Amino acid sequence: MISLKPRSILLISAIFRVGLILFGEWQDTHMEVRYTDVDYLVFSDAASLMASGQSPYKRTTYRYSPLLAFLLIPNSFTSRCWGKFLFSASDLFVGLFIRIILKQRKVPDDLCTYSMLIWLFNPFAFTIGTRGNCEPIVCAMILWIIICLNNGNVVQAAFWYGLIVHFRIYPIIYALPIIIFLDPRFFRSGTKPLLSDWTSDQGKAHQINSELTDKCVVCDALKSTFTRSRILFGLISGTVFLLCTGFFFRLYGWEFLHEALLYHLTRTDPRHNFSIYFYHIYLNYERELSVLEKLISFLPQFIVQLVLILCFAKDLVFCFFVQTVAFVAFNKVITAQYFVWFFCLLPLILPWSNMKLKWKGLCCILLWMGAQTHWLLWGYLLEFKGKNVFLQLWMASLLFLAANTFILIVLIRHHNYGPVFRQHTDLKTTKTT
Amino acid sequence: MSTLQYNRLCFHLKLAILWMFFSGAVFCIHVFASTTEVKTNSDAGKFIMKSYFENYESLHDSSFEDFMAHQLSSSLCQGIPDNWNVGVRLSVRELSLVGEGSHRHLSSSIRLQIGAASIPKLPAHLCEVIVIQRLPLGVFADPFELQNPHKHKAFRDIAVFGDTNLELPSFQSNRSAVEFHIDAGFNILFMQNNGTEFNLLLPLHARYQPLDESGYSVVEIGEPDMLMRCSVEGKQHKQSCLFMSPPNEKAKSTSATVAWKIPAGMKAHAGFVSVITFVTALLSTLSIVYASMFWSGTKVSKT
Repeated sequence: MISLKPRSILLISAIFRVGLILFGEWQDTHMEVRYTDVDYLVFSDAASLMASGQSPYKRTTYRYSPLLAFLLIPNSFTSRCWGKFLFSASDLFVGLFIRIILKQRKVPDDLCTYSMLIWLFNPFAFTIGTRGNCEPIVCAMILWIIICLNNGNVVQAAFWYGLIVHFRIYPIIYALPIIIFLDPRFFRSGTKPLLSDWTSDQGKAHQINSELTDKCVVCDALKSTFTRSRILFGLISGTVFLLCTGFFFRLYGWEFLHEALLYHLTRTDPRHNFSIYFYHIYLNYERELSVLEKLISFLPQFIVQLVLILCFAKDLVFCFFVQTVAFVAFNKVITAQYFVWFFCLLPLILPWSNMKLKWKGLCCILLWMGAQTHWLLWGYLLEFKGKNVFLQLWMASLLFLAANTFILIVLIRHHNYGPVFRQHTDLKTTKTT
Repeated sequence: MSTLQYNRLCFHLKLAILWMFFSGAVFCIHVFASTTEVKTNSDAGKFIMKSYFENYESLHDSSFEDFMAHQLSSSLCQGIPDNWNVGVRLSVRELSLVGEGSHRHLSSSIRLQIGAASIPKLPAHLCEVIVIQRLPLGVFADPFELQNPHKHKAFRDIAVFGDTNLELPSFQSNRSAVEFHIDAGFNILFMQNNGTEFNLLLPLHARYQPLDESGYSVVEIGEPDMLMRCSVEGKQHKQSCLFMSPPNEKAKSTSATVAWKIPAGMKAHAGFVSVITFVTALLSTLSIVYASMFWSGTKVSKT
């Protein structure tokens, strides 16, 4: 049992991150290989341009909202590390929000501590912020949205949701589960929804509020689609998104729209990456893909997302997690920074998993890392040794998808699914063993 | 978690973050202030390639040679027989590719010789050697990488011109060129010089190549073009002019081109790669759909 207090964990994490940032600065100055992410240089250049009154899109490969450049303006006149500290601070907030969300569901202290540690000392997490990648901001905002929804604060959740979709387009996949989640039986005007608490009885599969879960989710959605909470959420988030987008379109024109939004919706990259589609895209890059080919490559993503939403929307955090894993796995381009999108949600679902670390958990970790390492080895031979191993690299990406699929299925299998909310009046429950 | 505990935790987190920012910022400002900056001497003179791209849309060998032969002639140093600078010789001693894979360095060794027939009556002057490395379609130089002060302290200026899009494959990109300005020193034309050598190490990156049956594409990189520009103090303002090696001097250089073998996709793979990719995606989809429906806990009520 870990007896560290949360504030000690946060303090140690903060010190560790400061150390990494300072080491990164030293490495950038004294060594051939830079610690800082290339993207951070892009953000900083864009911020400098913005600070001098120019468009941040004059910087090639800047494909983010102008908000990010705005946040990094202090890079130009205080310290070039400002952005890294901002991202690392967001990283710490993610750790704090993980604890808050779990405490909302009355998860015991030791599990909360483990969950915080899983994020704060995850190598992906602490390197991504300290190297200057902006994903921790996105993760923090998504977790804050979950906190707001758990508290029944629909307005605030909608505001942040509209903002985060403007900032980074991928959270749009959470729109439908959130709408389903805003069930009128729980979200009533003037009443805070009741959260269902974590229970230590993880060995049995409970069916809490079985009268609710027995009903078809689709039927529920159709019958009560236009409720106050749902309309409010849709209106506010849509308005915030359109306002931000419209404002920056006014300032920076089509260049903003193309680079910050449309590029991400239509992005295909022939260069090698973890996606199974990279070699197919490269081999067909010189010709225009047919509509059928584009549809076929989009269908798996669409079907998986739809089924996951329909099956798990009531358990919102788990739904977010499986959606994100699947979204990344089936995407046409996969880079390592995308993994952070679901790593920040993983600590939130583990208290509801009856999978033990020994040995199933460890096997999943080793399988995922092994598949990734296998891909990286072939990638190294291609990129740094100049060997034609495109076929082997592509096969490694197939294996990586297989590993992701397997682990996702195992997590689904071992998850104790249950709606986040319960009704104010007691209902008969049916326990199944 | 009680409200009091929550507030305390938030307070401690804010303290930790403030401390982080403060201590880190102090250190970083110190590091930032002491870091050697790239010499971006805007007085070094106009870039030759900038002039080229003001007249031409893209880089082609024929257009560039035409530009060098005709458009630069007005900038040549006057008062020398046949408009050629008898005393100044710039040649490539060695040209090679260093490294493996998609990221290599082009190593060039440039020799500057000032012959006996130099110009002793010139006023004080400052000269710089200008090296223009034209790159073929299949490779590119990263302009932001070239700004790294650690690597490129010796150069007065470096810039990349042409297609600087780092992401496009070679069949969708245009050519680019890198121009170096290297300090050659003061009053060098007064002194006979058997040979000053400048070593250049240019980081290059391979683009994705067109498909090839052999699985490789060979890209050839030729010698750089070289000039020397000297600035003299005139009566009213600074004047500068160019020295170029005579055309027949290029034939004397020892290494003409270097070849870079870059992996390329094979057309023969296209059919089965597409089929297996989609089949794998389909199988994964079906597995996840089945698992979700079977284990989601949503069961149809029997009553």
